[in-house]
Amino acid sequence: MTSQYAGELCTLLVEDNFGELFARIFSTLNRYDRLSFSRLKFYSRLSNAQLRHGLAAMIQQHLVYHYTSYDDGITYYEPNMQSAYYLVRSGKILELIEHRLGKYAATVMSTIMFLGHAQVGYLETLPALRPSNSDVNRASEERGGIHETEEYHGEEARQETEEHRETEGRPNGLNSDYTSSERPALLHPTLKALAGHGYILRVRDAQFQSYADNALDAERTIKSRPDIKALKGKKLDEAVTEGTLELLKERLDGDLTRGLMFNGVPRGAKRRHTTGATEASNKKARVDYAAVDEDEDGGEENEWSDDDFGEDTIPMESGITVRINYEKLDVALRNRRFLELAERDSSPVTAEVYESLLRRIEYQTAKCRDTTEIPREGEEGEHYSVPVPLRAVVEDVDLFLDLAGSVGPMEVSQPINRRGKRPLEETTNGAAHDGTNGGQSDGNRTYEVDQHLCLLAQPPYSLTSKRMVSGLITWTVEFRHLARKLRHLELERIIEARYGDVALRVVRVLHDKGKLDEKRLQEISLLPFKDLRQVLASMQTGGFVDLQEVPRDALRQPSKTIFLWFYDPDRVGNSVLEDTYKAMSRCLQRLRFERSRLKEFLEKTERSDVKGNEERYLSEAELTLLGQWRAKEALLLGEVARLDEMVAVIRDY
Amino acid sequence: MASAGASGASVTELASKLYEHCLNNYPPDQLFYQQDLLGLGIVPKSDLALLLRCTQSLVDQKLFRLLQGKNDRLAWKIISREDAEKLQNLSPDESLVYNVIHSTGRNGIWVRAIGTRTGLHKSILDRCLKSLEGKNYIKSVHNVKFPSRKMYMLAGLAPSEDVTGGAWFTDGVLDENFINTVAGYIEYTVSRKSWVEVPSADAHRTKRIKTSDGSVSVKQEAGQKTFIPFPAGYRGYPTVSMLTDAVNESGITPVRLGEESITQLLDMLCYDGKLVALNSGEMYKSVKNPEAVKQSQARKPAGEDKGIDDRLVTNGMTEAPCGTCPVFKLCAPGGAVSPESCEYFDPWLEKALGF
Repeated sequence: MTSQYAGELCTLLVEDNFGELFARIFSTLNRYDRLSFSRLKFYSRLSNAQLRHGLAAMIQQHLVYHYTSYDDGITYYEPNMQSAYYLVRSGKILELIEHRLGKYAATVMSTIMFLGHAQVGYLETLPALRPSNSDVNRASEERGGIHETEEYHGEEARQETEEHRETEGRPNGLNSDYTSSERPALLHPTLKALAGHGYILRVRDAQFQSYADNALDAERTIKSRPDIKALKGKKLDEAVTEGTLELLKERLDGDLTRGLMFNGVPRGAKRRHTTGATEASNKKARVDYAAVDEDEDGGEENEWSDDDFGEDTIPMESGITVRINYEKLDVALRNRRFLELAERDSSPVTAEVYESLLRRIEYQTAKCRDTTEIPREGEEGEHYSVPVPLRAVVEDVDLFLDLAGSVGPMEVSQPINRRGKRPLEETTNGAAHDGTNGGQSDGNRTYEVDQHLCLLAQPPYSLTSKRMVSGLITWTVEFRHLARKLRHLELERIIEARYGDVALRVVRVLHDKGKLDEKRLQEISLLPFKDLRQVLASMQTGGFVDLQEVPRDALRQPSKTIFLWFYDPDRVGNSVLEDTYKAMSRCLQRLRFERSRLKEFLEKTERSDVKGNEERYLSEAELTLLGQWRAKEALLLGEVARLDEMVAVIRDY
Repeated sequence: MASAGASGASVTELASKLYEHCLNNYPPDQLFYQQDLLGLGIVPKSDLALLLRCTQSLVDQKLFRLLQGKNDRLAWKIISREDAEKLQNLSPDESLVYNVIHSTGRNGIWVRAIGTRTGLHKSILDRCLKSLEGKNYIKSVHNVKFPSRKMYMLAGLAPSEDVTGGAWFTDGVLDENFINTVAGYIEYTVSRKSWVEVPSADAHRTKRIKTSDGSVSVKQEAGQKTFIPFPAGYRGYPTVSMLTDAVNESGITPVRLGEESITQLLDMLCYDGKLVALNSGEMYKSVKNPEAVKQSQARKPAGEDKGIDDRLVTNGMTEAPCGTCPVFKLCAPGGAVSPESCEYFDPWLEKALGF
């Protein structure tokens, strides 16, 4: 994360969102990394008061880590690049929250985001979060001044999801809940829902220090424990590492989902169907899981009922300070990418079944991967998600979804128009419970959902995989494999766009076969020598493929040397990532330049009397100009958001 | 002297008898060892010396070719009379060269290799080759693996696959058009067998159901056929042998293509992302349905402007002007190339916004 362009980008983001003071401090810290207050003051040339105020606010925003050393008592400051970078993703996150949990939840989320972290008690007092339909909209406007970026991101992302929603279609239950109701105490259930989904977490002291500091600190604590001191040699090392990791986990853990999850689903997470049919399947679910979760208190009888929020009156503790859990949100965003991948090649029905599975998995996945760095290609182990029982997926899938209609018959000889009555109607479990929906039996439905998941498990993507856990069919997702696939796809897109589909074929061959000489490469890719050489040469110039020389004798004559072409996705990925950072900052810089070109005009539109009354005060030409400017800004910021998606794929998933 | 003359006559006689016998009773490539020839019972008393004299006379007449069989044993092969006539007319050097070329069969031989094997001087060798080629006994061939080498083989032989590079080469050059035709045909064939076509009546039904629960299927527009996938584990996808037969019967190929060539092509299509191999290459399934395949194939010859659906979906980097900028590496704020002075942003913005 610490590279020239990443640093440049983060500084730009901080400046766009929080202004020049923050940017000055941030860029100084970025340049010199870890600084004490006096050094920071010296390098940044700011006054004491400015610096103190700035640092305090930046710590609140989690933009700066601070650490007071035990040895000399000096406090050191360090930039928090990760958190600065996430500023760019805020729009996407809000859009996701709005889609999942409704507009009000998005408002709450954006307020927390804007504040960096916030105490629940404080959130209660905010007028912006007093729910009434008009307020909800105003709230987003109020923060608009500073959070311009976010708004526009949101807007562009919203546009994207509108298409998404067309296929998705179903009005989110929560959404309607919120907009139609004017319950006074909406904040707490919303916060609980956010916490239950893991989208927010509790702020812990340790989160204000960088990971390295925390690790050292934890190690020191462990080492000073008497039982550890008694150990020696290898044992000592092992005990220290283990203890450190444990302590770190304990100190950094801000998980709020405990007690808010039920059967691996957040309490109050909306069941997707609202018909009477739910009751029937719920009863079944109850029977299945009652034994597992008996220690849950009895108040959960209403767990699945629709007016859950009305009954759940226990508020969040107002003393808790909450912040955004970006790691969890990355999981949710990553799942959305997988879903998009599924939508490309599968029918909408299959995609919907997949979404149900992914949703289930998301609830139980805390972060995208265990290691901080993405492991090198081929050194990455398999990592399966939690297995989700087939039955759970079946429950979540909409009962009105026509599952049979989008999978073909097993035998082609079957007259096609008899589709729907498939020849192989072996119900997976003989006992067919009659659902309320048109007499479609449960067993049959289970079988059909299973069929859709099987379809997804097929190559080329293998989006799911089947597992038997103690005799039950469960489905998992191989996250590492898919994340890798996403990365490769991003790179392949660039290659195709720059060098054409011939290059794409060559790269795929090289990726699959490893290192190849030209002749072998030609045989596999079936390309004329001339084209092949041309495309390889141009890709080598672009740094996408490379050449290895293997001399056959000590003299290394070119005529007696074997030349092997290869494609290293890790290397290419890293350089593309840097390019992406750079492109993002170029877009932001261009935006700033465009803004400066129209400076005077924009200042006029932002005047307090003009703002909001543009039609009254601006001439027609000015209005067109304003429209154009807004479109331009949206386009550039949208582009940054698109680039961020690439960064997410290459770096975060 | 007389006995020598008599034996000379009997040698010629015996030799021609031997030759006739071999020619009539054995296939033309039969390899004869001494034992085999003695076993024929033509040479009296199994006289080895006499046999050797006979074979030597046959070799002189170019009716037998002397070869070295297994374990360095002597062996012979018969030569047909027409060929022998040809060979008799050759000078000793020419015949030497001819034999060397003949020995490599369908693989052909490099000129320099002929030189080293015959030990002839280059100018003599060139003259021999020229005269042989002029008599239309040998021909020069183009080898794919060593395009710069001059190679020869007998005029009557067809070059082997090693030399031509397999079915996909015409005159040593990869035949792109041919490959594309066959590839297109295969893709369409596979595609037809990988999807179930839903009749329009049924399509309406699915449509109605889908709209009732609120989701509108974008793909199902009026007049378009709807295709649905087979369930997982379906065994009806085409295999290599099915596809080979289909291609050979289709009449798009002048030569019969082997399964290896088709496998090669199928692999290529997999790398192109058009087909997917199932069960490690046992069966093949197409990614696109027949309609889409037809459309994308129809589009190609019409013009180079491809639709978006034909490519991978674009991403941020391919859209942004920076992704295609030739001087992106030099770009820095305040530099000679800078985001402020960038000449790509304005056209890009204009194009995207349409004003």
